[in-house]
Amino acid sequence: MLEKENIFCSKSHEYVCEQDGNCYIGLTDYAVEQLGDIVFVEMPEVGSHYAKGEIFGTVESVKAASELYMPVSGTVEAINEDLIEKPELLNEVAFNEIWLIKISADAYQQDVADLLGYDEYKEEVE
Amino acid sequence: MTKRTYLYNEHVKANAKIVDFAGWEMPVQYTSIIEEHNNVRKNAGLFDVSHMGEIFVSGKDALSFLQTFFPQNVAKLNDTMALYCQFTNENGGIVDDLIVYKLKDNEYLLVVNASRVDVDYEWLVAHKNDFEVIIENKSDVYSMVALQGPNAAEILALAGYEKEKQPKTFHIKQDKFIGEDVFISRTGYTGEDGFEIIIRNEKIAELWQLLLEKGQNLGIMPIGLGARDTLRLESAMSLYGHELDEDTTPLEAGLKWTIDKDKQENYIGKNVIQNQLQNGIRKKLIAFKMIDRAIARHGYEIYKNNEQIGIVTSGCISPTLNINIGFGYVSDTNLKINDTIQIMVRNKLYNAQITEKNFIKKHNKGN
Repeated sequence: MLEKENIFCSKSHEYVCEQDGNCYIGLTDYAVEQLGDIVFVEMPEVGSHYAKGEIFGTVESVKAASELYMPVSGTVEAINEDLIEKPELLNEVAFNEIWLIKISADAYQQDVADLLGYDEYKEEVE
Repeated sequence: MTKRTYLYNEHVKANAKIVDFAGWEMPVQYTSIIEEHNNVRKNAGLFDVSHMGEIFVSGKDALSFLQTFFPQNVAKLNDTMALYCQFTNENGGIVDDLIVYKLKDNEYLLVVNASRVDVDYEWLVAHKNDFEVIIENKSDVYSMVALQGPNAAEILALAGYEKEKQPKTFHIKQDKFIGEDVFISRTGYTGEDGFEIIIRNEKIAELWQLLLEKGQNLGIMPIGLGARDTLRLESAMSLYGHELDEDTTPLEAGLKWTIDKDKQENYIGKNVIQNQLQNGIRKKLIAFKMIDRAIARHGYEIYKNNEQIGIVTSGCISPTLNINIGFGYVSDTNLKINDTIQIMVRNKLYNAQITEKNFIKKHNKGN
């Protein structure tokens, strides 16, 4: 489980969290709640590099497709394979227990500087 | 300024997620679109459809007046019968699709789409000419709920409207229910058995609560517009603004079965439709299922042999079949069922297969 105090959130509702030497990117609980039933996740290729703000994938609910934006720059190290067959896990599991991709960040500290801490983010969206 | 139905507070109480639909603040879902969808197929669901319009046409010339609008033959309606119709323009394009109910001689009720109430009303008035008719838009007076699903008839009976009194499929009854004048029709937009009940605004919340309470043991749930959309798509029903618009004729929209090709009376757009009946159409509506893993959405492009041949009008996951389905228009009117096409999703082509339009076999019990 990712500790909430380590989580940073973007205005487009992705989170990023560095913990135990790994860097995870996922969807915030607010995003999941807004999307409703998630039925499809399109993942990036492992090894591809994305700059902060670039589209790295898509998440689709019953109603619509939403693009996923990189909260920080980095190279994709792994994708969460479970979500290919079972995208609904995003609805079923707590947001900080399920990540979309694992990356190696280019400049983590620098990139999270303009993101919101989790508590601050929650205040903003609610 | 968006409008609220008289059930808005009920939706808020039930924690619905509210969205803007055709200028109305409507519930898109209460719990989950998939759960709500499956519940309508398995048990029953209650929909707020108060945003839809009710236009009454009455008077000595009501029938001959209505005959000037639709490719359908309203003269075939006996009392209390319903007919699915389209208003067509001079080019045969669809101004709206609607259900025409014959209440009795010289008295008809037209139930129209929320987004088209004003257009339809003005369309009727603009073509009144010398017909002796009264055209009344009572959309602001009435609210409407749809009770749909295999348990609908049982729930309506438990709520005090016995099965013996319930109208037959595609019929309507004017009656008293919860001490109030109502219109109860056996129609809907889900592919399931069910009813649509029109009642005065002031009584709709009472009716809503009663049906939810009496239907509790039979698994009733309030259902939002999200599931309404997936339910209608699975059962091959078109949505105005998606499959139907003013640049599309009923024949192009796959609605030939609704047209009376022998209708004698003139109606707006008849020349174009008669011509299309003989010489063919410019585009045609197809249904497809995705073979590759992707979801087609409204506005995505359809390809065949690397050439764009059309556009997707609706697409979603089918919760009943657990596949991705869609509708779209193609210019190649020779395409057949089982042919493979491609859908452009985020700059990549994904395979899809043309299928029968009705994705689910109608499992109404019949009545």
